[in-house]
Amino acid sequence: MTQAEPRAQTLKNTIDALAHLLPAQGPISIFIHHNTLHALEDLRFEDAVVRAAGQLGTEPFLPEARYRDKLATGRIRAADVETLLREQLGARAGHPVAATGSRFELWRAVALIGIPDAAGRELRWILDETDALAGRRPLWHACLQAVARAGAPTPAEAPAPVRHRDWLNAVHGIDVDAWFHPPLIRFLAGYLDQGLAQWSIPGRARGIHGCFLELYSTALAAQCGAWARTLPRIVDEDRKAGRGALDSIAHSLAALDVADAEWPAYLGAELLALRGWAGIVRQIEERPDRVPARDIMVTLRGYLAVRLLFERAALDEARRAIGFTGPLAGLRPMLRAARPEPPVRSAADRAWPLFHVAKLRGLDAPQVDQWTAAQVAELESELRDIDGFARRRILHQSFERTIRYRFYDALVQHAPRPETPAPAFQAIFCLDEREESIRRHLEEVDPGCETFGAAGFFNVAMYHQGATDAHPRPLCPVAIRPDHYVAEIEEGADRLAGRSRRLGRRAAGFLGYNVHLGSRRAVRGALLMTLFGWLSLVPLILRVVFPWLSSKWAGDHDSRRRTRLLLDRPGAPTAPPAIGSHSGFTVREMADIVRRVLEDVGAAHRLAPLVLVVGHGSISLNNPHESAHDCGACGGGRGGPNARACAQMANDPRVRDLLAAEGLGIDPRTWFVGAQRNTCNNNVTFFDEDRVPSHVAALFARAGEALEVARRREAHERCRRFDAVPRWYPPIAALAHVQGRAADLAQPRPEYGHATNAFCFVGRRARTRGLFLDRRAFLVSYDPDRDADGAILARMMAAAVPVVAGISLEYYFSYVDQTGYGCGTKLPHNVTALLGVMDGAQSDLRTGLPWQMVEIHEPSRLAIVVEAPRERLWRVVEQNPAIARLVRNRWIWLACLDPGTATLWERRDEGFVEHTATGRLPIVTGDSSDWYQGKRGFLAPVSIVPGSAA
Amino acid sequence: MTPLAWLVLVGVGSPAALFAILAAASLIAPAAPPLRRPFTARREQWTARIAGAFIAASFVALSLAIAVNGSATRLLSYGDWSASREGGIAIEFLVDRLSLAFAALSAAICGVVSAFSNRYLHRERGYNRYFVLLAMFVTGMLLVALAGNVAVLFIGWELVGLSSALLVGFFHERPAPVSNALRVLSVYRISDAAMLSAAVMLRSIAGTDSLALLFSGGIGAVSTVGLTETSATIIAVLLIVAVAGKSALLPFSSWLPRAMEGPTPSSAVYYGSLSIHAGCFLLLRSAPLLEHAAGARIFAGALGLATAIFAAIATRVQSDVKSSLAFAALTQVGIIIVEISLGWYTLAFIHIVGHACFRLLQFLSAPNVLHDLHGMEDAIGDRPHAPSWTERLLSERVRRRVFLVALERGFLDSILDRVIVGPFTSIARRLSNIDRRLCNAVMPGDD
Repeated sequence: MTQAEPRAQTLKNTIDALAHLLPAQGPISIFIHHNTLHALEDLRFEDAVVRAAGQLGTEPFLPEARYRDKLATGRIRAADVETLLREQLGARAGHPVAATGSRFELWRAVALIGIPDAAGRELRWILDETDALAGRRPLWHACLQAVARAGAPTPAEAPAPVRHRDWLNAVHGIDVDAWFHPPLIRFLAGYLDQGLAQWSIPGRARGIHGCFLELYSTALAAQCGAWARTLPRIVDEDRKAGRGALDSIAHSLAALDVADAEWPAYLGAELLALRGWAGIVRQIEERPDRVPARDIMVTLRGYLAVRLLFERAALDEARRAIGFTGPLAGLRPMLRAARPEPPVRSAADRAWPLFHVAKLRGLDAPQVDQWTAAQVAELESELRDIDGFARRRILHQSFERTIRYRFYDALVQHAPRPETPAPAFQAIFCLDEREESIRRHLEEVDPGCETFGAAGFFNVAMYHQGATDAHPRPLCPVAIRPDHYVAEIEEGADRLAGRSRRLGRRAAGFLGYNVHLGSRRAVRGALLMTLFGWLSLVPLILRVVFPWLSSKWAGDHDSRRRTRLLLDRPGAPTAPPAIGSHSGFTVREMADIVRRVLEDVGAAHRLAPLVLVVGHGSISLNNPHESAHDCGACGGGRGGPNARACAQMANDPRVRDLLAAEGLGIDPRTWFVGAQRNTCNNNVTFFDEDRVPSHVAALFARAGEALEVARRREAHERCRRFDAVPRWYPPIAALAHVQGRAADLAQPRPEYGHATNAFCFVGRRARTRGLFLDRRAFLVSYDPDRDADGAILARMMAAAVPVVAGISLEYYFSYVDQTGYGCGTKLPHNVTALLGVMDGAQSDLRTGLPWQMVEIHEPSRLAIVVEAPRERLWRVVEQNPAIARLVRNRWIWLACLDPGTATLWERRDEGFVEHTATGRLPIVTGDSSDWYQGKRGFLAPVSIVPGSAA
Repeated sequence: MTPLAWLVLVGVGSPAALFAILAAASLIAPAAPPLRRPFTARREQWTARIAGAFIAASFVALSLAIAVNGSATRLLSYGDWSASREGGIAIEFLVDRLSLAFAALSAAICGVVSAFSNRYLHRERGYNRYFVLLAMFVTGMLLVALAGNVAVLFIGWELVGLSSALLVGFFHERPAPVSNALRVLSVYRISDAAMLSAAVMLRSIAGTDSLALLFSGGIGAVSTVGLTETSATIIAVLLIVAVAGKSALLPFSSWLPRAMEGPTPSSAVYYGSLSIHAGCFLLLRSAPLLEHAAGARIFAGALGLATAIFAAIATRVQSDVKSSLAFAALTQVGIIIVEISLGWYTLAFIHIVGHACFRLLQFLSAPNVLHDLHGMEDAIGDRPHAPSWTERLLSERVRRRVFLVALERGFLDSILDRVIVGPFTSIARRLSNIDRRLCNAVMPGDD
């Protein structure tokens, strides 16, 4: 007993340590963008992606051919590749390599032209059937002879299989995973189900492992498949012995003869075999509050125990199939002895890259004949250094550099627009890159306005329960657990109308639920189908053939109710709310929130008479990933309530008094209005419009009109990226088009979300106003002149950088490997357990983003440019370990724009390096549409100056 | 030709023409540079427009045909496809209210699905392939609906089956869709074999393969062609096996959830809406034969009832939306079969129409399930609890057993594997060994 306990503890620690290998995506209805390889952030980006490629079988970069296409089209500049190579090779660049010229020349040729990968039969076919050797046969023979002179190749170390399953697969081609994964997935999905199935699994409270033991210990379980003969016996034995999950794992590992030292490798491979499912198990284990089901007890060790029991049964059968009579423990040693020798690289395989090097470097057969054995060995070793991964790495870095430098160039060359001395109105948007375009359009429509960008929860961290919501929902960055609970209530004289509306809603809800349920029942279903089935043709045709019309009708009936947000902490002590520790905020807390927002964006001292606070969210149909389009700073929720709360707080006279006493005076005539923009159909909803005082009514009307025009133009700009929209599409039809998309059941791309994001600018809007950034830049407002100690910068970076880096990196990975990191095409997706999607009938739970969301993306790490003195910026970064790690290990690029001048420094390993602009920033006269109209692909930044008529 | 004959010809001919055009475009595409580029929105638009126009034409023609035909039953003959002394294969359509209505419904549903798919499959590799298969499917469905003889019926039946299997395997770069497509195809082959046997028997006994007498002549007609009750029962049972394969009745039900591999709209139109009802429709058509074969009728009823009960339980435990809908659809299909066996033909037909429309919508909006359930929860004010008396009545022990059986879909897969697939492959393996040995004996040395 005394020995067993530390052993169980070791096992538990091992499992906990391995859990970081799993995808960290939670339930799909609260989608939070995060760095897919968050666990590897301690490594340099370039090393981490290669490490992950080895562990997960994923791609670190795009395929080499894609980069070659980009080279051909000028999206990658050869000059950038050369510069990068010189930087990376340093002093080694000039050394000659094996009589092929300098190392730089060799690498340059290999990186820019490449060496086609071919070996074995494929190579034989190429040599026999294509004209790859045309006119160069002597050279080819010279290369073959050079290889022969060089002697035996260094044998390649093939990684040894780990699991029994891997050994069986390598030696006998038997894949036991394919046998037991289907029932394992069915059981697991059934256990984790959050309400899709009508019956919940019996014995759910016993935990994954306990529930499994009860369910599968009957003789029936042997029918799970031809492989499951011994399953009931194995399960029953576990149950009779009364083992817990950890004991069961230890027992299974012992039965499989896995030594303690091998635990991490073996269990790691087990976890990764179905990493999506294992990942969601881990997520629920860590945050059970994120799922509605309360009666489940989810542990990763429970899952592992079940998995190993299944696996033992399958291995038993596999052992019989290959005629091995010994115990399972002896299976691996037996297979190890039977493993075939890895094939030796043939002379042709080795000569092929040499042949290409000779060709690239312009060598002929006599010159190759001069190569000594040592030179061939040197060349081969050099070529291993610049293998496919290395070539793709260099090309990728050049690709990113091209994108990034264009942004830097634009920032240093764009003439700052002086701030309007007295702006007519101001609008604070989320820093989201999708707001870049609407801000630009708004400023173009009404040059008298001023816009700002801030993290879209506007510093209001709360659980919010809307008047029509069944449950409260956290609206704040995922790292924060809110204390405050805020409810929205219906109010006004029309209490009776409100009541009948509520009853109507309830009735509609019950009707919908009963149709949902009844359609799955036998008798009720038969009645329903026979009597009313044909009626469904109406919504079917409406939704599919006329989506825009149905969006019109759906939108009309929801906007009539008047609601209020209960922000105040109740005077008398009341019962604590259902969730969070307080209802509402104290005046003190509100004042702090308002102060922080205004200081962050640098508007505290220069408020206009009207300030709009605009949050955002997205509503779409038939889209399991709907929540991924919502506001990242609101934890995958919709930020309207936060904007509304922030505005309401700023309008509160008590808050203003408190702030005035602390030196932040807000003109009594200034008014704040909260709003929400739906980034999918571009609808803008204002909150508490009826409270707008009469003296700002005219201004509010002006702002409303400007926003109306801006949202139409923004829709038009967005349409240019939709392939199904013709290039000549008129602005007037664009709004209806995006509204139709949002209401269309058949539309897998309601919007493109964060796709194409690439930059982030932290600084004054003056530096970017009038700069066309193609919806690619997160824009955070920051006034470097009012933050001498860097405190504002520090808290702002702490809130914003993890969110934007997470978005950027998730898009990077989902694009670079759409099946390994992303979840592939949406078309066969199958919502499972209300937690995630599977491909088709059954598969691993698919994490990451679907192809339809990322298809127009350009995978490049985010380039963050901060307008601040270098010392201040670096101090802030170094004080925040999470950000420092991202910057040091190049998961993001950081640059510094000098506040006074047009100098920009990029942070490299050696420190801040000044950037020299290479291109010239074009100037377009008119408005944004003069630049984007009729164009489909990526657009370079340009300065847009208003036409002379203005 | 009469106007009715023209209308039916346009109704069936335009999807067939669509199939020919799209398939030809696929074949020519590699050689024709303007068609070669994959993701052109223009080409997609043209495909969608042509598909929409042809299917709409078919629907309009068939609707007009309903009006023109009234309640008459007619056999329209379009000549022989092949002829021989023993009688050839004639192109014949049997037109009555039932067949025209089902054909028009199929065309309408496929039209909606084609509009849906145009946007859903936008920029997808295989866009054109999808529409080729959809056109193949519509053609097949219309042939099944309107067939006037067994040959035409069989061609339609095969087109439906083939396009179904190919769409299950639409994402052929992953292994699961391909193996599931093969599974579906092999069950269909059993069904086809049963149908072919029925046709051969019918022809050898009755001397004709025309369905006119069989489908619409009533009991008297069936007996006039010389069918005894025994032979009628055998033919009917064979037909029921064919129906069971196509409509996923027991014991073949396990292929249905496996078929959910294709793009959502293809799952919707096949397994929610049309293909799943093809079997029901065939049974409905053969009602006069069934009435002549009491044993077969009871067999069909029992099969339908068992399927409905099994599927109703299975759907309650499925935790992914597509399997849940698949078994829900199967429940209704089972009930429809029961209705047919009880002789409630009109009710069965209305049930088919209602179910096809409703389930299509439900399948098409399957990815919306999170949004829908969330909306209902908000409207009701809390998570609705489904009161399940079946669950409360059973003891924990029984409940666990039932749950496991339902979760594992009645273990039908492993039973089929053991009873049919295992023996079959072992025979095949033995034959292959014999073959190899023979070859080695004739041509030694070459493996």
